[in-house]
Amino acid sequence: MKSKVRDLREIVGEIPNSGANIAIGGFAITRNPMAFVFELIRQGKRDLTVYQIVGGMELDILVGAGLVKRLEYSAGSLDRFGRLERVNEAIDRGLIDVREYSGLSISLRFLAGSMGIPFIPTKCLLGTDMLRILLERGDDSVKVESSPFDGERYVYLRALQPAFAVIHAQYSDEKGNVIIEGPYWDVELAKSAKKLFVTVEQVVSNEFIKRYPEKVIIPSVYVSAIAEVPFGAYPTAVYRCYDYDKDMLTEYARISKDKAEFDKFLKDYVLETKDFNEFLEKVAGVERLCKIKADPVYGY
Amino acid sequence: MSLTYTTNELMAVTASRLLRDGENVVVGLGLPQIAALLAQSTHAPNLTIIYEIGVINPEAEEMGVGVADPRLWYKGEHFTSFVGTLGAVLQKGLVDVGFLGGLQVDRYGNINSTMIKTEKGSRHINGSGGAADIATFAKRLLIMTRHEKRKIVDSLDYLTSVVYLRGYDSREKEGLPLPEDVKIITNLCVFGFDEETKSLKVVSIHPGVKLEDVIQNTGASLDIKGEVKTTKEPTEKELDLLRNKIDPHRMYI
Repeated sequence: MKSKVRDLREIVGEIPNSGANIAIGGFAITRNPMAFVFELIRQGKRDLTVYQIVGGMELDILVGAGLVKRLEYSAGSLDRFGRLERVNEAIDRGLIDVREYSGLSISLRFLAGSMGIPFIPTKCLLGTDMLRILLERGDDSVKVESSPFDGERYVYLRALQPAFAVIHAQYSDEKGNVIIEGPYWDVELAKSAKKLFVTVEQVVSNEFIKRYPEKVIIPSVYVSAIAEVPFGAYPTAVYRCYDYDKDMLTEYARISKDKAEFDKFLKDYVLETKDFNEFLEKVAGVERLCKIKADPVYGY
Repeated sequence: MSLTYTTNELMAVTASRLLRDGENVVVGLGLPQIAALLAQSTHAPNLTIIYEIGVINPEAEEMGVGVADPRLWYKGEHFTSFVGTLGAVLQKGLVDVGFLGGLQVDRYGNINSTMIKTEKGSRHINGSGGAADIATFAKRLLIMTRHEKRKIVDSLDYLTSVVYLRGYDSREKEGLPLPEDVKIITNLCVFGFDEETKSLKVVSIHPGVKLEDVIQNTGASLDIKGEVKTTKEPTEKELDLLRNKIDPHRMYI
């Protein structure tokens, strides 16, 4: 059997150095692909177009590092811990081209992309400033037309098929059968990409997959490469593996408010660490990581 | 007998009483979640609770920091995706009540959860997430907000979620389905909307609050006509459930 498991550095190396477009999974404080995004930053991938449903700390750091040219998303936050200060400042100062959607409308664009259809109609966005601004800017991903079937007004959303997508999940086998435990809001996003990369907590045997096929949310046909990165979503939560690190998220929420403090964090913990393991050792350490390990019943 | 209770307790109880048994409700963190859990513990044991992230009918033992917190998913009956909840349940028309909140609400109930304009320029805060979708498709909407002049305004800095758009029949003309009912629950009163103009009207004022307080703290034009009732107080049983079962650490009440 040909294994899709590869080194994270090598996988990220496949992405062009400038102008790539990539969809990122995760949601505020859960299953955010931190390790993958840190490697994008170390390799200096510039002028990125990023698609995401609800961004978190990884999006904030990527934008703060000055690598994002365009962002299409529906929201972003650190939940109760704070806002995405670097993203918000970049929007306020006009440093990035931002295209805002609702959560369902951007998810429907991924759904259409995942099914290979050119567009999908919905009543989402009608009357909103998101739609008004997209239309005013001549964005060719949205059109308002009446339906040939019932004559009613709909927003026709262009399908999204990003060149790359990355999500973080609990398990995969070497073939790329991916198990996601808990809700899987990013499954359509993952399936829409031309190339899907998945970072996982653990690579498991194909025997395990065949014993629990109902747990496989993304079958291997969609997956280009797998990287095994334990704690690869830290400090965000991975259901049934570990909780979010509330101290780290609180600390990041504070740091990110100030550009100079953020830049120091970026340099010390991302750019000057050789890989995610070194980041984990530097910022958390084994003792702290053991403390956030999840109870198998509660999942956090 | 007169009970003592907090404003948040009164808001949670008021919202809870607007939910009916057997309904499907999309909730977010905080008071909406507490209101739904209270309804489940009292008059609506068959309420179905939906979190947009893809969780249906959990029984959380701890409050969380947001819908992405696995604490809120504990003992869920179904896990799915955004498309699974907001698409296949909400857009299909199966959601009876959607809860909403935000930075600003205008006289037609429209909500801004995206950005605020200041003298120094605009400040981006968050974005829609599922909020605009809930406002589009839920049959009834319950908006919960602090009652401040800068939060209940005539004109929004950004229109994230459409409720009655520009009043009258403007929402239907836009192509959107009309909700059966919309209420705003604040710390001072409950607002409804005029049947014809679809603009803000006071339905009831919370006990101890004067109409003058409501007018002074509202930044939007307000029609005061007809009878203004007093919001019904919480019962001893409701307060006991809130304090000892639903939010024992008093995170939100």
